[in-house]
Amino acid sequence: MKITISIITSIFLLFGHYVMAGSSSTKVALVPGGPHPYFAAWEQAGKDAVKDFGLGKADYKVPAEWDLSQQNELIESLVGKGYNAVLVFPGDAVGTNKILGELDDAGIPTAALAGCVEQPTKAKFCFGTDTGHSAYLGTKQLIKALNGKGKIAHFTGFLVDPNTTLRIKAVEKAVAESGGGVEIIQVIADIDAYEPADEKINAFMAAQGGEVDGIVTTAWVPAVVAAQALTNMGDKRIKMVGIDHDEVVLKAIKDGYVHGTMLQNPYGQGYIGSYVMDKVRGGCSFKANAPWKSTAQTNQFIDSGTVFVDINDVDTYVQAMRGISLEILETFESTYLNC
Amino acid sequence: MNFFSQEYFKKDWFGLLIVVLLSGVIISFFKPAFLSSFNLYVLMLSVSLWLVVAMSQMIIIAIGQMNLSVGAIGGLVAISFTGLMEVHGFSIPYAILTGLFIGLFCGFINGFLTVKTGISAFIITLATLYIFKGMNLGITEAQPFYQIPESIKNFGNAKIIGPVPYLIIIPIIITVMMWLLMNKTQSGRNMLAYGNSVQSSELMGISPTKVVITAHVISGFLAAIGGMLVVCRLQLGTPNIGDSWLLPSFAAPVIGGAVLAGGKVDVIATALGVIIVAIISQALVIFKIDPFFVQILLGFMILIAVFINRYREYKEERRKKIFIYEASHE
Repeated sequence: MKITISIITSIFLLFGHYVMAGSSSTKVALVPGGPHPYFAAWEQAGKDAVKDFGLGKADYKVPAEWDLSQQNELIESLVGKGYNAVLVFPGDAVGTNKILGELDDAGIPTAALAGCVEQPTKAKFCFGTDTGHSAYLGTKQLIKALNGKGKIAHFTGFLVDPNTTLRIKAVEKAVAESGGGVEIIQVIADIDAYEPADEKINAFMAAQGGEVDGIVTTAWVPAVVAAQALTNMGDKRIKMVGIDHDEVVLKAIKDGYVHGTMLQNPYGQGYIGSYVMDKVRGGCSFKANAPWKSTAQTNQFIDSGTVFVDINDVDTYVQAMRGISLEILETFESTYLNC
Repeated sequence: MNFFSQEYFKKDWFGLLIVVLLSGVIISFFKPAFLSSFNLYVLMLSVSLWLVVAMSQMIIIAIGQMNLSVGAIGGLVAISFTGLMEVHGFSIPYAILTGLFIGLFCGFINGFLTVKTGISAFIITLATLYIFKGMNLGITEAQPFYQIPESIKNFGNAKIIGPVPYLIIIPIIITVMMWLLMNKTQSGRNMLAYGNSVQSSELMGISPTKVVITAHVISGFLAAIGGMLVVCRLQLGTPNIGDSWLLPSFAAPVIGGAVLAGGKVDVIATALGVIIVAIISQALVIFKIDPFFVQILLGFMILIAVFINRYREYKEERRKKIFIYEASHE
């Protein structure tokens, strides 16, 4: 793989600049781990970054499946087509480091987007939601809605996703802080595909819907399916705090079946990530004393922001997220870069 | 009369029926909510989908092949069905017919390529899995379709009577049709004969082209129905539909005693296999199993179900051997 990337890169460096478009030669590939609606905002973010920052390209390219080898092959082929910066949602928190190292050796800067890779890594930084913090804040909102008392369930995503463990621990932490008023009666995980999520969440509702007071979901698919289940049941007694901005969840908030959702900032990740890649390719380096945050995987983390949205601001959430993105962008260079 | 010599004991589905009844009794003893109307409704919804998916794979197993693209066909049909209604304004009947045609066509491609190239269906359907999934992603760009007509949403959630959902009607009809096909028609017998021995079936004058293409076309057709049923249930058309179908599509036929080399499948046993997997999945939720141990327990419980059924087969074979031994020494 290393040899392949080196050969491809050498050929491109020889001839690539003749086919560049735009004022910058930076061509960013935004590569998610697999098909998922969460990442769809990266496409528009890339287009806007090309327009606003004059990049050569910033294209969203999706692997056919959630599979590390497929993601690696896609990245290789994109390098072959002349992309010279890669923003990637790691297909594997450790496994992705191999290709990131090879890209770095070939002079191609990379960053982990929306999820981090384990250090040591050649990724320049990790830019995403502080998933643990988001889960913690969401659970706090749920506890508040329950007036500090009740039984809750936690629905979350892939167990192999390192964020899942962080989310489970964060929910437990928020519950522990309730002083015994709130109890987690069940955690259902590995339901990031719609069919098993529908099966398990509805089985839970059937068996324990009567005794649960609140639901916190910390992954996209469980949030959609749980919101749909509450809507179908016509249940407004159970309070639910979801995650992300799927239409089903937003509609359920408007209709009163879901209390609120923790929004992430995928657009900002793609937009600012592309901007930073261009800066790095232009010769900027990261400050030694940059105010990085630390997570369980990395100590070079930047939080792309999260915000709780309920029925009062569900119609204006786009502006809220845009505001967060602009705030990060305005201060990014002075905070993190030496240019 | 010896219990093991009873006629029903010889059936593939008998051991599984015992497992279903036993597990139902045990679970409801510890968790009475298992028999609640809502829980039975949820169980039937779950069975509805997996029944169609399992039948789609079972017919390919019958001819001694595998269809890895079952989920990809279901997913492609699901997003085509919803996309045609949302983007192109197709009426529901036209969208359904188009979805079914896509399923039939995908199945035909699988069967045709398998027969004409002589390459194993495993490889052909592995390739078409990527093609169909790629088309799915190309069409949707990983974005769901949300604008589902109310009548489809209602069909996905409404109940006929008590806990029985409308959604289960089609899978039951399909199961009956499949039983008739495999047990009462020449076409079904030809498929089993082909699965048992390709050479022998050819000597019997069975056309391999006809058998393989027919099986794949039916498989594609059923996968298409599965995709549309999921849309009715989820009330959205997402490109991820079908991604999780592959292993369950094999689990139920195999639990039902199907021989992966072909020539032996049992429709009723496969249906019971679906019910067993659904009950096990539900039990793991009902008993609040730690999420990190769910897969281990699921695997063990499927093994137990298979062992119980194999024990019945073992007893049956032993009885036959004793009978032959006694007959030869008379």
